[in-house]
Amino acid sequence: MNITRRRGTIAFFITLGVLLVGLAVTLNIGWVVLNERTVALAVFGIILFALLIAGVVLNTVFLVREVRRNERQDSFLNAVTHELKTPIASIRLYLETLQRRPVDEAQRQQFYANMLADSDRLLATVEQVLKAGQLGQRQRQQSRTLIDLEPLIIDCIAITLQRHHLSPDSIVFEPVAGAVHLRVMGIAEDLRIAVLNLLDNAVKYSPEGVHVHCSLSITQYTWATLSITDTGLGLPPNQHKRIFRRFYRVPGRSMVRIKGTGLGLFLVRNIARQHGGNAVATSPGPNQGTTITLTLPLASPASATEPSSASIKKGQQEGVEERA
Amino acid sequence: MSDSHPSDNAPLIAVIEDEEHLAQGLIFNLQAEGYRTHHEADGDAALEYLLRPDEAIAAVVLDCMLPGTDGFEIVRTLRKAQRFTPVLMLTARSRPEEVLEGIDAGADDYLPKPFDLSILLIRIKSLLRRTAWHRSQTSGFAETESPRRPSEPAGPASEYAFNHRTIRFDELELVAPNRTTQLTVMEADLLRYLTDREGQIVSRKEILEQVWRVHEDTDTRAIDNFIVRLRRYIEDDPAHPQHLLTVRGVGYRFLANP
Repeated sequence: MNITRRRGTIAFFITLGVLLVGLAVTLNIGWVVLNERTVALAVFGIILFALLIAGVVLNTVFLVREVRRNERQDSFLNAVTHELKTPIASIRLYLETLQRRPVDEAQRQQFYANMLADSDRLLATVEQVLKAGQLGQRQRQQSRTLIDLEPLIIDCIAITLQRHHLSPDSIVFEPVAGAVHLRVMGIAEDLRIAVLNLLDNAVKYSPEGVHVHCSLSITQYTWATLSITDTGLGLPPNQHKRIFRRFYRVPGRSMVRIKGTGLGLFLVRNIARQHGGNAVATSPGPNQGTTITLTLPLASPASATEPSSASIKKGQQEGVEERA
Repeated sequence: MSDSHPSDNAPLIAVIEDEEHLAQGLIFNLQAEGYRTHHEADGDAALEYLLRPDEAIAAVVLDCMLPGTDGFEIVRTLRKAQRFTPVLMLTARSRPEEVLEGIDAGADDYLPKPFDLSILLIRIKSLLRRTAWHRSQTSGFAETESPRRPSEPAGPASEYAFNHRTIRFDELELVAPNRTTQLTVMEADLLRYLTDREGQIVSRKEILEQVWRVHEDTDTRAIDNFIVRLRRYIEDDPAHPQHLLTVRGVGYRFLANP
């Protein structure tokens, strides 16, 4: 209901814009034809009209954008409301149950475990929202350290497996070939959030069974590349870029089943960019899985071969710059 | 998905909730209250279960946001299939429009999440009592100590007759000359509220607060769809209502004899 109304609004603004531009152009030409002789005035008029037209076009673009943004913000609010209220409802239900009924020990332990899991979920949502708020502001100056990607990723995989109660073989990790340590300069906490978000998505959007493949590699000598491929719902080609927008969620019935705030990939891409890298999505199409590739600039070879305390302290510059 | 039997003739309550923890907690409490329970986590599976002809479900606790068919759609489909099992909807979204969408779809009651356990249990009990009245009436027992004959004008709000139609509040039925419509508890409550105040103007806000317990400061028109549906039941020509009139800018007025 709401969405069709908004489509109507967008269509209205576009039509209005086009009509006004058309009218302006017609008037302009008519005016020039009628006032052929007064060249100076004609030139002045043409410039004025051009400005008017530009104004109308800009205005239309702005309005359409604003309507779209509102739409996303609305669905974000709905999603966050749900993500916040559900664990609270659950915790409250268990507390009230424990308060008013005799509960045997095993059941009690189960309730405690459920409440703990719910408070984790609540915390995760709160952190995601806060993090997105931080990223929306100007970049913070935070000290960067030398981070070895492999243990960080292995750690994140372990957390994801535990969070979703998965068997260890559902997420396969393929480390970089050879006994090389891939290290980047960065903020460990942020990189962890990014990798966890990617893994979480890969699991969430694989409703028919989780088969996730993570591989770490070096591309073009200076980039560490983490590819996370799932066999899940996939993406239509026109969504590959949009999914990184803030609050954006892929429309469609199968996607609606999966709950989320539309912040995860926004965070991932922003974190990647703050580290001088990027994140891109590719998918052969709907129901054919998705690959998200996170690229980060490698720290200088010097620090990559011997992680001395000196190179950690050097810290403020990006690995690639050091190398150059 | 999971069945249990505290006692074989205890009322069966279907819990349709995809959040595993909430479902577990609900089921534990319902069983502790002596109900039998059945749990479904997926909207499509739930609908299939609720439409099974052999299930004697006493009430449904239904979440709005479900994978597959969502809660609103489930109620709508049930009502369309002439299933009038009482439905209590749980919703994380508590804006009046969304609550009313549920009620409009045919739900009997709603509770916003997070809910109070004791309130939930009281609401379920009251939904079951409504259906119990219905059963006792049809099997010949009245709920009060003095049995009444059906044609006899009853005490306050047991039956209400107008325009060749009779609303039987306890049976949740609207008997019209050519057909009998099953009402949801919410529809019956609104009709009772309007008929009790016959001739008076009733504001939208008043209906929201008194009938559905929704508190909303701004004037909402979300209730209008609901009125349109009631008109289909009680008006000869729903497009030109004679009994359930809109009072512009204020609300509605019910007239028995226009």
